Amino acid sequence: MKNWIKVTLIFSFLLFSLAGMAQQQRFPKPEFGTGYSQPTPITPEPRALALEYTDVVILLIVLSLASYFAIRKRSRKGILWLSVFTLLYFGFYRNGCICSIGSIQNVALTLFDPGYAISITTLLFFLIPLIFTLYFGRTFCAGACPLGAMQDLLIVKPLSLPEWLRTTLGIIPYLYLTLAVLFAATGTDFIICRYDPFVGIFRMDAEFHMVILGIAFILMGMFVARPYCRFLCPYGVLLNWMSRFSKWHLAITPAACIQCKLCSDSCPFDAIDFPTDEKQTKNRTWGVNRFLVYALLIPLWIFIGGFAGSKAHTWISKANPTVYLAELLISKPEVRNDLKNLDVQAFLSSGKSMETLVKEATVIRRKFYTGGWIAGGFMGLVIGMTILGQVVYRKRTDYQPHKGNCYSCGRCMSNCPVKK
Amino acid sequence: MEQENKLKFSLNIALVSGIFCITVALLLLLNFMQMAKNKPLESKALTSLVKRLSQEPNSDELKQEIRNFDLLARKAYFNSQWQVKTGGYLLLFGAIVFALSLRVFIDIKAKIGEPEVKDENDLTSRIMTQRWVMITGSVLIVLGLGASFASVDHLQKYDVNESLAEVKTADDQDKVEVIKVGENPQVVATDSAKNLVAADTTKADTATVAVAAVKITIPGANAIKANAPGFRGPFGNGVYFQKNTPVEWDATSGKNVIWKTPVPKKGYNSPVIWGNKVFLSGADNKSREFYCFDRSSGKVLWKQQVDKITGSPATPPKVSEDTGFAASSLITDGNRVYAMFADGDIICFDMDGNRVWARNLGVPDNHYGHASSLIMWKDKVYIQYDTNKSRKLMALNASTGLTVWETARKGKISWASPILADINGKYQLVLSTDPMVAGYNPETGKELWSVDCMSGEVGPSPASSGGLIFAVNEYAKLVAIDPSKNAKVWESDEFLAEVASPVAANGFLFVATSYGVLACYDAKSGEKYWSKEDGPGYYSSPVIVDNKVYTFDTSGKMRVFDLAKEAKIIGEGNAGEKVTTTPAFADNRMYLRTPKFLYCIGKK
Repeated sequence: MKNWIKVTLIFSFLLFSLAGMAQQQRFPKPEFGTGYSQPTPITPEPRALALEYTDVVILLIVLSLASYFAIRKRSRKGILWLSVFTLLYFGFYRNGCICSIGSIQNVALTLFDPGYAISITTLLFFLIPLIFTLYFGRTFCAGACPLGAMQDLLIVKPLSLPEWLRTTLGIIPYLYLTLAVLFAATGTDFIICRYDPFVGIFRMDAEFHMVILGIAFILMGMFVARPYCRFLCPYGVLLNWMSRFSKWHLAITPAACIQCKLCSDSCPFDAIDFPTDEKQTKNRTWGVNRFLVYALLIPLWIFIGGFAGSKAHTWISKANPTVYLAELLISKPEVRNDLKNLDVQAFLSSGKSMETLVKEATVIRRKFYTGGWIAGGFMGLVIGMTILGQVVYRKRTDYQPHKGNCYSCGRCMSNCPVKK
Repeated sequence: MEQENKLKFSLNIALVSGIFCITVALLLLLNFMQMAKNKPLESKALTSLVKRLSQEPNSDELKQEIRNFDLLARKAYFNSQWQVKTGGYLLLFGAIVFALSLRVFIDIKAKIGEPEVKDENDLTSRIMTQRWVMITGSVLIVLGLGASFASVDHLQKYDVNESLAEVKTADDQDKVEVIKVGENPQVVATDSAKNLVAADTTKADTATVAVAAVKITIPGANAIKANAPGFRGPFGNGVYFQKNTPVEWDATSGKNVIWKTPVPKKGYNSPVIWGNKVFLSGADNKSREFYCFDRSSGKVLWKQQVDKITGSPATPPKVSEDTGFAASSLITDGNRVYAMFADGDIICFDMDGNRVWARNLGVPDNHYGHASSLIMWKDKVYIQYDTNKSRKLMALNASTGLTVWETARKGKISWASPILADINGKYQLVLSTDPMVAGYNPETGKELWSVDCMSGEVGPSPASSGGLIFAVNEYAKLVAIDPSKNAKVWESDEFLAEVASPVAANGFLFVATSYGVLACYDAKSGEKYWSKEDGPGYYSSPVIVDNKVYTFDTSGKMRVFDLAKEAKIIGEGNAGEKVTTTPAFADNRMYLRTPKFLYCIGKK
């Protein structure tokens, strides 16, 4: 096993040195006679195509290794060092971009904007982890996600959160996903990228509020394990679904569970399902009645949610720069004389008429109306299904990782005394 | 190491690194706050020094002081940037050490004992979860509904009202006299024109509008034909309807020159005539001017500055020498005159020089300079606004200048001008660009037909005769199009014009090339009758009047050909300087603009 680590490390060091030399500049920097070196920009420079594919290959390798370590080898150490590599490569070296979480937006944009064509590498970054998760569980989260690695490595003393808090906060990723898709599809903004708390740390540069947010997340992450993963990550929603249907999944015990309870404290993420206590379940009819009521309420949740979403469309659409500009020019026509407002000045000198701008803005607002129905309806469905899930009782005798929530980090495996 | 020592050691490291992190973080925060306040190049000291320098421009001492100060400011800025960067890395390193040592400490502290049984009552926790999720759902719904009540949809409020507000603010600033139309403008129809009420503005806003009943006479086709209202005469077609026009003259000797008046500023726009007035515009990179000359005497009746227009750029765009800032010819309908310039300014005066309205359409992104001339029909003024950024045909309300409609066009930038073609008894706008020639409904702007036949940088405007449309461009072709069939009838590539627009009448079609050939074709079949090469080249578009074809080459030499199947020069003239504009005709006189003068030519 140690050889594996050595090989991986050596391989990654080689890659660093090679890749560093080959980074391509689309517009080569001018040569200054005084030896002046241009500062590196905040946003990463475009990558040579060959290196983009290298990233995909590395992702494949890392995912394969993570799955291997989680399911076959059952090595917590392997996953740990793999996540260190991921943090260094995909996080600090690649500056957190390209990432699978953000790729959701590219996919959403390409589906709804005929003028945008997603690149193959972005599409692969979106699809490959999903496919791996469908087979092996959330090994992506364990070893291949730099944000996850960052949070995972900084867990100091994790607190166990009560169920109601976990479930309630667990709605936020769905909301984030919905808004991210809505904003990306309407061409408004890539909010996942904009509000990524860790990207500032990867790039060692960010706006003030994002730096504060990043530090806050890290401090929080020392005591509430993986806060972004559990309560924000929109990609995690998709991985959650894939993982529930996964063919193979990390198991705490390599053989049969002996209910020794030694693993019950080991999961910092409260992702272990305990054996059910027969005494605590109420009579069957009550449970079935509740289930039926909640199931029938779901269409109502969807409709009300969709209605609320459509109602909110005017307000949400103001996030779109075209809509914002049009409304600004309409509600405050004196802003035309403000020479410091670059957006207004750029518009005025573009030769575009107000009519055209308002037409464009109206079209976008309409998109938000439709999107609002869909987004709201989806959120309603999520709420309804979450409540419904609370009245579903599954009988369990063993200690098992929750298929959807478990990040396959392998901490529980180290605690299990059962040998193969 | 023993557990005890390990514990102490890790705790100490955690404490030290923790304090280190906090210190660095505080320092960074302080640095950030400082940096945010000081903008090195906007410092008061520097600005006051620069101000002093503008008063004592020759003080070398002062210049050196400014340089030193500037250097210090930049050094300080980049130094603090470096500090932030280094601090960031230190903070990161410290944080890692802190986290790791804390981790080790806690790991060692944790005892392996009976695992704490989570005594969460399963049922109560489920019920609580359901409750909280329902609360969350309700909160989201309330937020969504609340957002709808709290937000205003400004877009729906947008109306022509808003554009009128634009006009109103221009009102306040420039004291522009806007002749607004009241309830019942008196409209007098002539000839075949219908009674038209300037409907657009009446419904929009009567509160802010001062009612001034203005007599608007919308000219019909005959009135237009009696004048030279725009570029290449009536309907922009290059065909005039005057008789007994002069066939020889000479600028140097003054032969047949009735009067000549110097034009104050240069421009490549051609004379525009209505009634007894001749209109021109001129511009340079400093200002734009509008001129009105008396047709009989040549005196300047009035001259107006084109300035104080909202949105007009402070510095005009770069234009090429051959185009200048006033390449677009004016347009008039006898009520008002309109002019457009390369910086996007468009202005309307009445016949007596009172400004009616003015606006800036946005600086056209045009690497030579905007050259498309204006044209108008009934109550609208049309602009072929084809730029590198976007292409559109704009229709402005003639009385107010407000955009009535815009039709986006495909294709590339163009320097051609629109014409009005009589197809099946109705007039339509025809525009030429790369890649197509297209026809538009002048009322609605809807595209009626489009034929792909052009390429390159299109300078020549189209021509129309006998129900056919003719278009040409160098490196493309000379084509004849039947709009009713939306198809080419014939095409030729023997003689192609680069700048001069073709002209057709009475079954003849003429093309004048930049290398000096005037070619004559049968308009219906495309059969070439004759071609004749003279002079250095034709930029001025040939015009047909009184069964004659007038041409001016770039040396200023005029050649008048007979409108016939054989090449026959029936008259010659000389302007004595370069001519790239097109002559205009009124009564039995010809009016020509050269770089220096406006000439009135005819038998005295």
